[in-house]
Amino acid sequence: MTLPLGIDFEFRKLIMDVHVSSDKIKYCYQCSRCTDNCPVAAVANPFYENIFDPRLIVLGTLLGYKDVVMALAGKKSAIVPWGCTVCDTCDTVCPQAIEVTEIITLAKNITTGAGLAPDSVVAQAKSVFESGKAIPSQPAIERRREQLGLPSVVAPDVNEVQTLLKAIGADKKL
Amino acid sequence: MTEYKMFEGCVIGNRIPFIEAASRKVLDKIGVQTSQAPFACCPDPTGVKSFDNTAWLALGARNLCLAEAEGKDIISLCNGCTNTLRGVQHQLKHDSNKKEAINKELAKIGKEYKGSIDVKHFVDVLLSNLDAIKGAITKQMGDLKVACHPGCHYMRPVEWMDSDDPLRPKNLKEIVAVSGANVVDYEELALCCGNAVAGPFPEHGDAILKQKYDSIKKAGANCIVVNCPACFQRLDGEQRNLSKKFETEYNIPILYITELLALAMGVSSEEIGLKNHRTRRNTAIENL
Repeated sequence: MTLPLGIDFEFRKLIMDVHVSSDKIKYCYQCSRCTDNCPVAAVANPFYENIFDPRLIVLGTLLGYKDVVMALAGKKSAIVPWGCTVCDTCDTVCPQAIEVTEIITLAKNITTGAGLAPDSVVAQAKSVFESGKAIPSQPAIERRREQLGLPSVVAPDVNEVQTLLKAIGADKKL
Repeated sequence: MTEYKMFEGCVIGNRIPFIEAASRKVLDKIGVQTSQAPFACCPDPTGVKSFDNTAWLALGARNLCLAEAEGKDIISLCNGCTNTLRGVQHQLKHDSNKKEAINKELAKIGKEYKGSIDVKHFVDVLLSNLDAIKGAITKQMGDLKVACHPGCHYMRPVEWMDSDDPLRPKNLKEIVAVSGANVVDYEELALCCGNAVAGPFPEHGDAILKQKYDSIKKAGANCIVVNCPACFQRLDGEQRNLSKKFETEYNIPILYITELLALAMGVSSEEIGLKNHRTRRNTAIENL
């Protein structure tokens, strides 16, 4: 449910549940070490339209302001959350040991369900669904492997991969 | 003798197999045995995990089940695969609800995740075999001035990648030093290559990579050594693009750590397909 203020309690609950057996996120005191050490924030700030600020993402999501995640306001492939390059530097420097990347990952997961993920991410997931691999095997590479004296890559059981993805419902997001 | 299950990963196995060739040669020479298994995609900790964390857990756990069935640890040649497989283990170990839910799905394909095996990054395996590496080296590597780039997912997050200092990594430098090559320190050692952001936002990815190259150039390195195929492709493949874009010359050859070691151990560049690199080799590497 969304109040006039834009607070979404369901979203807030999801964020609070992100951490492995912990509610550490509650103890964020907005020191900004995450943003100060974020390589994307460092290069994104000069681009007026494309600000990426992990500190603001933590604050906004913690308060339940779903719209702070721009993609959730309906913008496809938005810089928040998709600007995160998953370097895990913010997690490392956070004095409260908040797993910021896990929060951003959850936000990304929600946008993929709404069809707002970047095409490259959806394409990779599709490839995994169809071939069991992010990069399917190709005849040219197989020949190169042979020339290099390498054994063939053992083919994965694609049926098993598809059964799992269907059981979880991830196939519907493709 | 321990035998590991080889997890070569999608990028190395199906796109840049010459890195697997060098890695297998080095592992052979230091007496590390491996065998294959029908692993699927790990899956990617920056791609599939961002797409759906539950799908990531389920597919990762399925791969772990394959190694568990043989009671063997996994050796991974890739930062991303290691990070995923260890990350999946971390989430399932610390969250019994998740473990129960994932095992309910795995039961549909006749599998159960137990958490009985370990996942090793190949750099950690190399590190525990330094004496064997030293003994196998036959060449002088003195002309190489190496800037190391271990890559984010080798050492972060520390919660499940606890093998090195997360912001001042030293393991890769130690192995390069053992090879006889010179290690060059540079300011942006722990900086990301920008691979994941470069997909949807190439401007940002290029700006990050430029900082990395500039710092490496300033330090006077004539070679960059990496231990991640995603970083390899990005550092090796983007120099021409960045040279043009920022009107600066970036032309430093990239070697996978196992390529460096294979060359130091007297393996020829033809045997390990070094010609498949995008960035041209310089005299420091030609002279080996």
